[in-house]
Order: sequence, then C-alpha cells, then structure tokens
Amino acid sequence: MTYKTTNTSRRGFLKKASAGGAGSIALLAGMNQSAVAQSTDPIVIGAPLPMTGGAAADGIEFRRGLEMAVEEINGLGGILGRPLELVVEDTESKGDDVIGSAGRRLVDRSNASVLIAGYNLGSGAALPGVAADASVVYMHADTLVAHNELIRSDPETYYGSFQYDPAEIYYGVGYLKFMRDLIDSGQFTPANNKIAVITGPIAYSINIANAIRESASEYGFEVSLFESVQAPTSEWGPTMAKLREDPPSMIAITHFFPQDQAQFMLQFMNDPIDSLVYMQYGASLAAFRDIAGAASEGVLYATLIGALQDDIGQKFSTDYVARFGDNSSPNSGGQTYSALHAYAIAAALAGGAGAPYEEEQNRKVADRLRTMIYRSPMGSMRIDPETQSAYCYPAETDDPSLGMPHIFSQIKSQTETGPIISPAPYNVATFDLPSWFKS
Amino acid sequence: MDAIIQILVSGLTLGAMYALGAVGLALTFGTMRMFNMAHGVFMTIGAYAAFSTVNYSGAPLIIALLMGILAGGLIGAIMHLLVVQFMLETEDFEINILVATVGVGILLQDFLLKVYGGYPFSQPVQIDGIFRIGGVAVAYQSVVILVLATVLISALAWALTRTKFGMAIRATAMNREAAMLMGVKTSRTYLQVLIIAGMLAGAAGILISSLSTLSPEMGQNPAVRAFVICVVAGLGSVTGAGIAAIALGLFEAAIQYYFGVRYGLPLMLALVVVVLIWRPSGLFGKQEVVRS
Repeated sequence: MTYKTTNTSRRGFLKKASAGGAGSIALLAGMNQSAVAQSTDPIVIGAPLPMTGGAAADGIEFRRGLEMAVEEINGLGGILGRPLELVVEDTESKGDDVIGSAGRRLVDRSNASVLIAGYNLGSGAALPGVAADASVVYMHADTLVAHNELIRSDPETYYGSFQYDPAEIYYGVGYLKFMRDLIDSGQFTPANNKIAVITGPIAYSINIANAIRESASEYGFEVSLFESVQAPTSEWGPTMAKLREDPPSMIAITHFFPQDQAQFMLQFMNDPIDSLVYMQYGASLAAFRDIAGAASEGVLYATLIGALQDDIGQKFSTDYVARFGDNSSPNSGGQTYSALHAYAIAAALAGGAGAPYEEEQNRKVADRLRTMIYRSPMGSMRIDPETQSAYCYPAETDDPSLGMPHIFSQIKSQTETGPIISPAPYNVATFDLPSWFKS
Repeated sequence: MDAIIQILVSGLTLGAMYALGAVGLALTFGTMRMFNMAHGVFMTIGAYAAFSTVNYSGAPLIIALLMGILAGGLIGAIMHLLVVQFMLETEDFEINILVATVGVGILLQDFLLKVYGGYPFSQPVQIDGIFRIGGVAVAYQSVVILVLATVLISALAWALTRTKFGMAIRATAMNREAAMLMGVKTSRTYLQVLIIAGMLAGAAGILISSLSTLSPEMGQNPAVRAFVICVVAGLGSVTGAGIAAIALGLFEAAIQYYFGVRYGLPLMLALVVVVLIWRPSGLFGKQEVVRS
C-alpha cells in the first residue's frame, strides 16, 4: 500500500514533525493524568537482547535505549499509573533455541507483559512463537522479510508480533538507487560500473547482497565480485587481493558486524583503491568508528532505522550521549527506545497493558499499534497491517511522515556519527569524495 | 605474483596466530593428558590484560605485551592450584578434567563479561604502518605476529630439549611414575606446564585481538582451530602443532583467495578428515612418543 501526498517544504515538514513527537509524549502524560490507577504493580518489559557475542555492540545499546525509555515513561506516570520495570535476558548472539528460551524465561519467570528487542540473529521465528503462545505483544527490529512472510502465513496466530522497521529487502535496491542518483547528479564519477559485493554468513546479509546482485544491471551496474565471508572475519588479505586485482568503483559490504567492518577498513586503508565503500548498518555504530579510527572517515553507510538529525532525533541523540557517554550509539539505542514509547502509548490507548495470557487485552494493545502512527526519533513508525512491519520511506511511500526513512550517511569525522546525506527532507550534509581517492 | 605474496602474508599471519594457540594446548595434552577447554579464555584474559595495562596505566606496548603474557601464565597457575592438582589422581582424569575446564572457561568468560561488558574494544597493543613486498602492502603488525610467534615457539622448543626443566617435562610426559622415581616433582612440572601454556595463550590472545577486536568470547574461534591443529599434528606433539598451524594457515589463505573466503574453514576441516583417515594418530603423532 502506498500513500502519496504533496510535498511540503523541508523546514516546514520538520517543524510539524517535531510538534508531532512532543505531542506523542504529551498524549501519554495526558492519559496518565486522567487515569485512575488500576494497580501499582509494575508492568514488566521483557527484553531478549544479544548482550554477548558478535551482536553485543548493538545489544548493549538496545538495553540502554530501553533504560532511557523506562525512565522517561515512569517520569510521565508509567502506563495509566503503573510503573515499568525492565528485565533483560541475554540471547548471546545465538540461534532460535537460545533466543526462544530467553523469551520464555521473560514470560514465564519474569511475567513480562511485552517483549521488546532490537534485532536477534536467529531465523526470526522463535520470539513470534513465544509471543503467540503467551498472548503477549512482541516488538522487534529484526529487519527480515521472513517476518512479513510469517505474519502473512498466519495473521491470527501472530497478531501480536510487530517489526517496527522495514524488512531488509529495501537495503539492496535502495543502495543501487542511491548510487545511481549520486552518479547521475554528478556528485560521484566512477571509473567503471563495477560493484564488489561482500556478504556474511547470515540470511539477512545474504538477502541484501542477493538483492544488489539481482538488480544491479537494472541500474547500469555490474557485480564484478561476490564474496561471502565468515563471522568473525579478521584477516581480510585474500579479499583485498581480489579487490586490488580488479578494482571496482563501488564496494558494498552487507556483512554488518561493526568490528569486522572496522577491520576491513583498517586493512583497506593500508593500500586503498579508488572504490567508494558502502557498509550496511554496522558502520552506523560508535563501535565501528571506535575500532577503525581515522580509517572510518569517508565510509558510506545506510540503515533502515537510525536516529534522524532533525529536532526530535537530535534532541534524543544529545540526551542519549549525555546519559551513556561518547562511545554510545543513538542509532542503535533509539530503536528500542522508540519501540517502548510506541508500546506505552498503544497500551495506554487500549486501557492498559495486558499480562501474559490475557489475550483480550493484549489484542487491544496490538490493534492500537497496528493503526497508530508514532513519530519517533528514528522517523515515522507506521505499521503495514498486512505484514505488521513498518512502512519504508521512500521505497513504499513518498510521504516522509508515513514511513521509516532508509537513511544514507557518510562518516566525516571519526569522533562523530555520520551526517545524513539522503533522503530528503532528512539530509543535513552532502556527499564528499573520500580522501583515499587518488583520482 | 602479488596474489601469491598476499597468500603467503595472510597465511603466515593466520598460521602464526594459530600456532601460538595450538602449541600451548599440545604441551598440556602431551605432558598431562589434559585437554584444557579453558584455553580459549586464557587467550582472552591475556588480551584483556594487555588492553587494560595500556588503557588504565598508559604503559608502553612492550610492558602491556608482557603483562598480557604474565596474566595468561597466572591464570594457568591459579587453575592448577585451585582445580587441576586436586583431580590429578582421580579415576578417568582425562574426562574429568575436560569437563572441569569447560566449567572454568564458562566462569572466566562470565567474569570477563561482568568486568568489561560485551562492547568490542580495539586492542591498543599493535604497531601501525606498512611496507611493501612487490605490489603488496604488508602491515608491520603481521611481521610482529610472525616474529613473536617464532621467538616464543622456538624458545619453548629450546627449553624442552636443552634445559633440565624441559627434560623434566618430557620425562613426565613419557612416564610419570618413572619420572617421579628419578626425582622429578611431577606436580611442580604440571604447574610449570600450565603456566607456560597460559603464557603462550596470553600471547596468542594479544596477537589475535590486534587483528580482530576484544570481546569476552573472542577466544572461542581460535581455540576451536587450535584443537583441530593439535588433532592434525598428533595429540601432544608440540613441534608438530607449530608446523601444522603454519601449513593450515597457508592452506586456508590459499583457499580463500582461489575458491572464496567462505570455503576456507570448511575445506580446512575436510583436509583434517582426510589426514586423519590417512594417519589416525595425526601427522606427527605416534602411539607412544617422546614429544618435543
């Protein structure tokens, strides 16, 4: 489904959006003021997060985002007078068995009313199953098309599972379109039309890489190298040798672990070639810049859910870094932060959070989530009722107020998150040719 | 030609790191019949100790390197004094100690997680800069890894064959009772072996983390490779482990270049299967061997 509206000016749009964000918080505060507390028992927010392993850099931020949201929501009076309590279980960056166990412990032992995660590394099917069995709402940013297929396969069973960002399928074509626009607008003049695609062992990364490979020719590109690496990957020498033998103008790395991406850049910068390096998601984290240092500068990255740099996003990022320190990542923490705020509003609108196995009440909360639009620091969270995933802007709608933006950034300084260079109206900087280019 | 140089550089770098990890493991098994499942965490402890030395005291890199190696040795000593020495005389020692060291590894990894968290830190103990061989840029860090591994393994080989202390280790490995009758204090020998293995693991951890990042579970992957290398070399063969590590590092790098990175580990494991079918005791293994 695509909603199309007429374009407004950038400044006017962002100003209205800021008012909308403040309004969301005011909405919850207002409902809390007029509510008669049903109980003073805390509402348990269950968080199955990858606190250790390859995705730990994100897991730490996901927990921070939830902590910040819990503090803010409790400061507003909780959800209709009931305070929130956060319980985290480690999913260890492992598969469905560990992820599912963590979810079941949160429900059965901690009595979680809702499960909120960023992403986990399994198939994406474990926690929807747990949520369905316990009749609780589950919100995640797994960024998987498999979620959409799961919901379509049985919407009745999985009524409570929401992917609050778009599926990964938008990364691949979005990257190709971004590069084509960059070239056609004269901002980048490639020496050839070759793209080297480097992916990882996880289905998510492979799906993105395959999307680039399958659609490259439509955008006038040729995939000259398609390489799959293991995780973790520290010695990039053989891959570098292939890149240097047949230098592509563009390198797209869809293996998203920030530490592996950082090692790639460190080794790439030992003897750089004239290739524009794009790194999917991982480079959006502070850990990437922390490890890669100066080698991070010039790298392009994209994320389907990242902190915007408008009034709402900037305020959130400033507060977040002030709270958690310079090596924290609002791009990552903002995901769970936004999800919990959206849940709190939906639960308040539904008349309160449901306990595990209280299907009737949890269905009401899910109905509110499915129909409301929440303007978060990451953009507009608006759920497609058919897939229960967030709409993507600009891939699914050309109205930025109705979709989560697929943002492209470029790191200009190792000490700062990359400014957004696309899409409008969220762009705050322009593309610069990286300093490693010799011509 | 450049490709071959790149394969050699990558393969030797990988192999040197694998060798440091594997040799300590081989020494422990060869002397004590003990598979130390906490060996990977020993690597991690060495890496974090070096990291902390630089970050919290600003000490020079060489001091940090020594601190990391010492930390590996210290944890080896602690494990011997608190766990291993009480199990030496137990029935089915080989199985018991395997299970016990799994537990020690989990405890230590959780301890590191509590202290440092899961954030992937960069290892400050490394040398920046490159030089060229032909058209290939070689990082000084790769040379440091190769040189340090060569020095440490050579020192171990020399100590095992040329010193009284090394002879005691070899004698204990050959026949514990006979060594005791000849005046060797085998309990002290075992302690020394675990300290040396821990120091080698600490050094391996520092070098591995300099090419990847620090995280509490960073030792798992290299430990698996170290176990594989020990099996290929022949359990307990120290020299064999070093040679097998270098050979497998080169093999993996060549496969990554010619067939694709994703085939590196699977084909290395396939090679291991072939070797074990051909020589069940490993390339350098014998039924009873004087190991050095």
